[in-house]
This record gives sequence, C-alpha cells and structure tokens, in this order.
Amino acid sequence: MGVVSRSVGNAFRNKVRSGAVVVILAVAIGLALAMLVANQAVGSKVDSLKASVGNNLTVNPAGSRGGLGGGNPLTTADLTKAAAVQNVTSATGTLSVRLSNSAATTTSGTTPDSGRGEPGGRFGASGTTSLESAVAPGTLGQRNNSNGGSSSSGSTGGSTTTPTFSIPIQATGVSTSTTATGTAINLTSGTALTDFADTSTQALVGSTLATKNNLKVGSTFTVQDRTMTVTGIFDAGDAFDNNGIYLPLAATQTLTNQAGQLSSLTVVVNSIDNVASTQTALTSALGASNVDVTAGSANLQSAISSLGSVQSISLIAFIASLVTAGLIVLLIMIMVVRERRREIGVLKAIGASNRTIGVQFVLEAMVLVVLGTVVGAVVAAFSSNPIVSALVAGNTSSGNSASSRAGGGGFGAGGGAGGGGGGFTRTRGALSGANQLIGTISTSVGWQTLVLGIVGILLIAAIGALIPALLTAKVRPIEVLRGE
Amino acid sequence: MLTVTDVVKTFKTGDQTIKPVNGVSFTVEQGTFAAILGKSGSGKSTLLSLLGALDKATSGDVIVDGVNISKLPDGKLTAYRRDDIGFVFQAYNLIPNLSAQENVMLPMEFAGLSHAKRSERAAELLNQVGLTEEMHQRKANRLSGGMQQRVAIARALANNPKLILADEPTGNLDDETGELIIELLRHLAHEKKTTILVVTHDQALASQTDRKFRLARGKITEDTPKVPA
Repeated sequence: MGVVSRSVGNAFRNKVRSGAVVVILAVAIGLALAMLVANQAVGSKVDSLKASVGNNLTVNPAGSRGGLGGGNPLTTADLTKAAAVQNVTSATGTLSVRLSNSAATTTSGTTPDSGRGEPGGRFGASGTTSLESAVAPGTLGQRNNSNGGSSSSGSTGGSTTTPTFSIPIQATGVSTSTTATGTAINLTSGTALTDFADTSTQALVGSTLATKNNLKVGSTFTVQDRTMTVTGIFDAGDAFDNNGIYLPLAATQTLTNQAGQLSSLTVVVNSIDNVASTQTALTSALGASNVDVTAGSANLQSAISSLGSVQSISLIAFIASLVTAGLIVLLIMIMVVRERRREIGVLKAIGASNRTIGVQFVLEAMVLVVLGTVVGAVVAAFSSNPIVSALVAGNTSSGNSASSRAGGGGFGAGGGAGGGGGGFTRTRGALSGANQLIGTISTSVGWQTLVLGIVGILLIAAIGALIPALLTAKVRPIEVLRGE
Repeated sequence: MLTVTDVVKTFKTGDQTIKPVNGVSFTVEQGTFAAILGKSGSGKSTLLSLLGALDKATSGDVIVDGVNISKLPDGKLTAYRRDDIGFVFQAYNLIPNLSAQENVMLPMEFAGLSHAKRSERAAELLNQVGLTEEMHQRKANRLSGGMQQRVAIARALANNPKLILADEPTGNLDDETGELIIELLRHLAHEKKTTILVVTHDQALASQTDRKFRLARGKITEDTPKVPA
C-alpha cells in the first residue's frame, strides 16, 4: 500500500461526492478543451485565409479600371516610387493592351491609332495581331463595339448593320512569368517566358485562343509587325483569360508605342496587417489624383478580423474554463483537508512528513482531475463542432455585407482610352462571400492541441491542489487528540 | 532513559490561562513499565502528547536518551515520532478505509521499509496481538472496538520504538485479551528494553506495572512501592 494507491483509494472514499466533483470538473474541462479546439481551428483557418489572400494591393491609374474610364497611364517612375514605400516587399508593373485582328482592321481601312474613339470604336485597341478571337462577339460584343450605352437605340450604326468583326485579344505585358496579380501562370504545355528584352519574340497563348488559331508550342503569329513565337500554352480556367496572351513587358511597350507606360501595378505588402496602412501610404506617395489603390481583399480582411475576435473569445473562454476547473479542485481539496484534519494529525503522529502528506493530497486531486479530463474530453469531442460553428456563424454575418462590393481591381486595364460601355470588368470568384471563404472549419484535433490542453489542465489542477496540500502542513499532530 | 524536568503546559481560553501540566518532573529508566493514573481532566492526555512530541511544552525539558525533544526542530520531531515513539490512542485513530494490515504498515512506509518487509512484519505483529489472519485484510472501520485497539497497539510497535505511550490500552478489551496485551507490554519492557508508559484506570493493568504515577491538577506524584511485608 504505497502513497499512490492510498491516494487513489482516498479519492473514492466518498463516492457520491467524488462522482459529483468529476462531473463538474468534466464540464469545465470539456468546455476548456472545446474552446482550445475552437481556438486552434479558427487560428489555422485565419492562417490559411491570410495565405490565400496574399498581401497584394493593386494600383490603377486614377479614374481608370479594366479598360474603362480615363486618366493618364502609370509610368515606370511610379513603379520605382511604389517599391520605395514602407512595408512594400515588391512591386511589379504590367501593361494590358488590346490587339485587334489585323485582317479585320485592314478591311475597315483604319489605322490602329486613328481608330480610337471613333464612332463604332474598336474597344480602344492599341495594335493589331494575326490572332483571331476565340470568343464570338455575341450581344455583349456588339454592345461594347457600339459607341452608345444602349443596344436598342441603334442610332450610331453598330447594331443596325451588324458588321462582321472580331473582338480584340487582350495582351498582358509582364516583367516576370506571372499573371498581372502575381500568381503563377498555369502552363499546359511549353515553357514560361524567359526573354524579357524589348526585342523578345516570346509569347504565351491562352488555350482556347491557341485552338482557334491552330497554334502549338513553336508556332508563330504576329503582333503589329513582329513575328512572335509561342513558347507555352496556358489554361487560366475561364473563357475570358483563355482568350488572351502574355507578352514580355518591354516588347509590349515597344510594339504598342507605350514606352515607359504601365496599366497597373501589383504591390506585395510584407504583412496582411500592414495592407491598410500601405494602401494609404501608396496613395499619398503616388498622388491621389494620379492613382487608385485598391486592396482586393477587403472582405477577406473583415472575415479575418471577425475570425480573429472568435479566436480571442475562445482563448479567453479556454483560460476562464481552466481557472474554473482549478477553482473547483482548490475548493474541493480545501474541504477534504478540513474534513480530514484529524486523520492528517494521526499520520503526523505516527511519523509522516509534511511532504508525504502533501504528495498524497496532490495525487488525490490528480485522480479526480484525470477522471474529469477523460470525461471532459468525451464532452469536448461531442461539443466542439457545434460550439465552433455557433461561434463562427455568430461572428461572420458582418463580413457578408462588405463582400459584395469588394470585387474590382487586381487586373490589367486597357492601354488607351476606353471606347464603350461596361462589360469587361469581372469580379473574382474568390470574393463572393465571407461565409464561403471561411468554409467549414474542421475541428479535427491535432495531438499538439490535446497535449497543450491536458498540460494546461494538469498545471491548473496542480496549483489548485498544492494550496490545500500546503494547508496540511499547518495541521499539527496534536489534532489527533482533539475530541478525546 | 526518559527524563522529564519541570514541564509546564499552559493554554489560553479567553482571558483565563489554564495549566493542565504544571511543573511535572520524573525519570524512568529504559525498559520500565510504568502507569500514570488520574481522574478525567487531570492532564494525563496533555502530558502524553508532550512526551510523544505531538505538542511542545511551554517550558521545561523532555529528554529521551539524552536528546532534548522540546528543543528539536519540526523535521527532527517527525523523525522522532516515527522512529522512537509508538502511540496507542484512546480513540484508536486508525485510518478507516485501510485494512488492519495496511494500518500497521503505515509507520514502516514512512520509515522507508520495502513493501514485502512491511507486509511480513505487519502480519507478524497482528498475530502477536491476537488478531487472526482473516481479520488482517478487513477494513479498520469494519472491526470491533477491541480489534481496533489491538490493531492500534500493533501499529505502535511497528518501528520498534524505544518508548510506547498508551492511553487506556486495555479499556475496550475483554479480560482475556486485556491479559494478553498486558503480558505483551510487559514482555516488550523487560525483554526488549522498551520503555512503556500507560495511562489507565484499569487496576489489573496498573497492578502489573513497575512504577505508578498519579497526576492531579497538573502535578505528578509517585506511589511508593508497597514494601513486601
């Protein structure tokens, strides 16, 4: 009969009370574990959201977006200024231009430059190409190709005569082999761009455009008067992007006579926490009248901040539940020590040291805590999922309202002045709503979470048991004679 | 040898100071079987608690084998109680949820004996006090008063103490078992040179002791041994 088995036995001397204590402890510990699980699940979700958002800001010329609006183009000087702003990790510029089909241009007898702004304009095309669009004009193309806003008026030509035309190809001049927003280009064949000189003849072609024009890796086509070679074919995942091409930036600038001009900048900020302040800093550095700086992640940030509050709520609840568990242990052990004063006196009278008795009481408390933890873990296993979803659902409704307006920037604008009505703006699918972004938060518990929780509980319990154990040291052996 | 010199113990109750032990002095040689007689409230239990280092005297010295226990620090007192003293309490004070044998093993556990040795010696001691084998594993709170008394005596003997302090050791025993216990205590005193001090009302017990002290209002006197005629 050692001190351990004696402690275990003592924990069950009063079975009804021990049972009640275990149940109460299990509730507190179960809540603590559920909160820890919620904390970890939300934390990892925040991390993955942050990673998916990226820390990007998009700079467009003031008043211009996606080939619409007006204003003056950005320049390489702006790029240098943007790169020098505090917290900016990198800044890359892109030039998006529209290339009209050279055959169609020739038949209509207009030069590219004089074509801008004409009635029945040509989407503000900056040059010509031998490529033929894979997308048929359709009603939207007709409408965009007309000069007015309404297709039903028919007064300025386009819709009444319905001339045959091909919609222009969007060409994006890039300085690295990435998309305008800095993500990797998904190549289905061939290789990425490697030659970024202004004499480069490399080009990447979208998959549907390549099919339409019978292009393979190594095939050639023309942009203005230069013969370009297809180095790779990419799949961007949607019909609009797959009808475009990527060219080296310098070559694009030279070919379209836009030397030193950029249609948008993508700025990477060092931390998502600095995105808002960098947005302000960039606007003031480049001049509010010159640029529009947009953070494509506005709704994601609101989702992240609401999840962040869930994270801190769950952390506070975890600590509060742990302290509650500690208090329960403390109070019950104080009660037990008071109840067994005389027995402690006996043990001291027959030669037990304070340490031996203290260890016995701490172990006794630990037996209750371990049982409470086991039952509590079962409670947590069943309750953590509902708790997490309740917490997340209650805190992300505010994120939803912001999401619908947040689409917009983050893609290249047309090179010249825009010719027609709306149509080419697109919203990112990823920005459709905070709830979708948050998705289902999985509460599968990692072993680190469990270990952390159990260590926390045992620590609190040990502190809770230590005070009563120290109280036993104050019991004098003469207590044994009390009542005799 | 046990030497008690001018021991005083005072308690304060409200504004009154009471002295249950007031200037007690006596000496008993090692291996003496002595009895302390006195009425209820005469200070017997208080004196016993001072001798057994359960409490500290207000003044005076208790010297056991040359060591003044009234001057020892608490840590040493614990060791003294464990190794040198065996206590038999009037209310037995067994741990109720432990078996008879486990109760006897407790002091040996505190002294650091191995489980096997503790178990063996506890069984031996319980047999010595006349408790049959089938009682050894019975929980203390399921034993009769007399059986608990015997377990308490066995526990007091566990660590071969130099001094056994017993408060009414035969109070709850029938005559036959009482005789057995008295004989056991006498044997310990005379064969093993254990000093035994019993507080008792039992004349049968008192008549068998070597020396008899009387305690009244905190003062001790010794009955002069009757000179055989």
